[in-house]
Amino acid sequence: MTTDHRQRRRTIAVATVAIGLLVVAALGGLAIGPTPISVGDIVGDILRHFGIGHHHLSPLNATIIWQLRAPRMVLGLLVGAMLAVAGGAYQGVFRNPLADPYLLGVAAGAGLGATLAIVHDGGAVNVPTWTPWLAFAGALVAVALTWAIGGRGVRSTTSTLILAGVAVASLLTSAQTYLQQQASAQSIAKVYIWLLGSLAQASWSSVTTILPYVAVCVALCVVAGRALDIMSVGEEEARALGLPVRRVRTVVILASSLGTAAVVSVVGLIGFVGIIVPHIVRLVVGTSYRRILPLSVLVGAAFLVGADTIARTILSPTELPLGVVTAAIGAPVFVLILSLRRGARV
Amino acid sequence: MSVQVTGLRVTSGKATLVDGVNLDIEKGTWCTIIGPNGAGKTTLVTAMAGLRPHHQGQVTIDGTDIHSLGERERARRLAFVPQHPTVPAGMSVLEYVMLGRTASHGLLRAPSSEDRCIVDGVLERLHLTTERHREVSSLSGGERQRAVLARTFAQGTTVVILDEPTTGLDVRHQMEVLELLKKEVDECQLTVIATLHDLTLAGVFADQLILMAKGQVLTRGQSADVLRSPALSEAYDMQLRVLSVDGADVVIPVR
Repeated sequence: MTTDHRQRRRTIAVATVAIGLLVVAALGGLAIGPTPISVGDIVGDILRHFGIGHHHLSPLNATIIWQLRAPRMVLGLLVGAMLAVAGGAYQGVFRNPLADPYLLGVAAGAGLGATLAIVHDGGAVNVPTWTPWLAFAGALVAVALTWAIGGRGVRSTTSTLILAGVAVASLLTSAQTYLQQQASAQSIAKVYIWLLGSLAQASWSSVTTILPYVAVCVALCVVAGRALDIMSVGEEEARALGLPVRRVRTVVILASSLGTAAVVSVVGLIGFVGIIVPHIVRLVVGTSYRRILPLSVLVGAAFLVGADTIARTILSPTELPLGVVTAAIGAPVFVLILSLRRGARV
Repeated sequence: MSVQVTGLRVTSGKATLVDGVNLDIEKGTWCTIIGPNGAGKTTLVTAMAGLRPHHQGQVTIDGTDIHSLGERERARRLAFVPQHPTVPAGMSVLEYVMLGRTASHGLLRAPSSEDRCIVDGVLERLHLTTERHREVSSLSGGERQRAVLARTFAQGTTVVILDEPTTGLDVRHQMEVLELLKKEVDECQLTVIATLHDLTLAGVFADQLILMAKGQVLTRGQSADVLRSPALSEAYDMQLRVLSVDGADVVIPVR
């Protein structure tokens, strides 16, 4: 059997496992909670929606599943898929294994936008409803600033973009810190909670808000896999091979940034998904972005829904911030990957 | 395809790297650019490959200005090999050589059976068939350079520009790489433009030599004439002697 055949078989096996994980995580996200509902009942009710069988959940359980857990689970799938594929695409386009979806200032911009909204609202009990929109605007302004500083001009390179991202993130973070310093303790607490990320505010409305962004941006990133493989020989050689490097870079960065801004504005800042998931996938299926990106979509979605299930149940009724759980799982996994890859190029 | 360079000037900031270069390279010829470090050889060939903006002048292939072409169109006409090609981690020889077909099959389509057939043929010509599933990064220096040539030939262009294609190779592998190129020039009417530091090998393989120094062309012509020109010692700012050994000109420095 040739290496290519082995690689293809391994990719199919990994994709099968990833789909299995995704199904398990999704069903776990629906079944596990303060009111346990059996997987059989849930599957029966899902099948009934497709005209198969007549299994009904009780009205209370149906409300729990379809109004509380299902939107949260679907939102988790979308957020995990988007962050993971954006991280993988950034790692490809910047040829930098430490790239994550927040590289160009999305996190700092969204953080500043959310802080502005929360601090402006003063002592209100809930986070103001326009927080996501200001976070979204902040994230887009940050990326636009980074692009304006580092992404234009004849001599722009990925390095200048990364440096511009660092500068913009530092500037916006300092503004956010100043705002927090001026704010009340209650506002600071709310900003802090928002920064750690959570799916607790999930609803079908939030799902439908980010779905178009995630669908288009994930598709663009996955399609770019072949171009990112060509870019692995460096920008000059890729251009010599006939790749429109600037156009590819622009599309990938815009799609990754826009999709990340959309999900971050709804669920806050969730770390580690965008950096560790593509690395886990790379470790198993090799360095081709044609394999890494679609598999990152599946694994990222499963990872985030699984982490959210842990976040909302492990200390029930208290809910852990999702960012804490993804980092608590992500950090040791990341260290494990690094130790496994010692001596090899990441 | 013939390549013409007219009044080419390349600057970087206030420094002029290449100035007033005019060349006319006929189809099916091998033209080697020689000169000391800092002469502007790499700048000239990257500008000729359309990978570096120039401030004056024009580079044309069969009358078409290469800067008026998009990346894909340009890559269908000329292939470029940098001095230190990047070897991506984890990529097999087959995948690496298939990169040469990028301009033909586009970004959204998988390689066609024709692409695979062309790549198989190139691998066979360059004696890489048995290495096709090995990682490029695991190849020896000579094998790796053959893989780079295979990717270049897979591009299917009639003009190939190479910047120091023998860097880091021992003399046997230098000869091997240059012989493979010569074979393509003879059999496929390939137009080769290369830079080389080894003056003896440059003289052995090239139909024409172009001597550069300080960003300008000092002289050009038949290999024997350029190697025996007083301009050669002037360009390198040292005494060079040319000996004739078995019909080949051997250039040696005088202490």
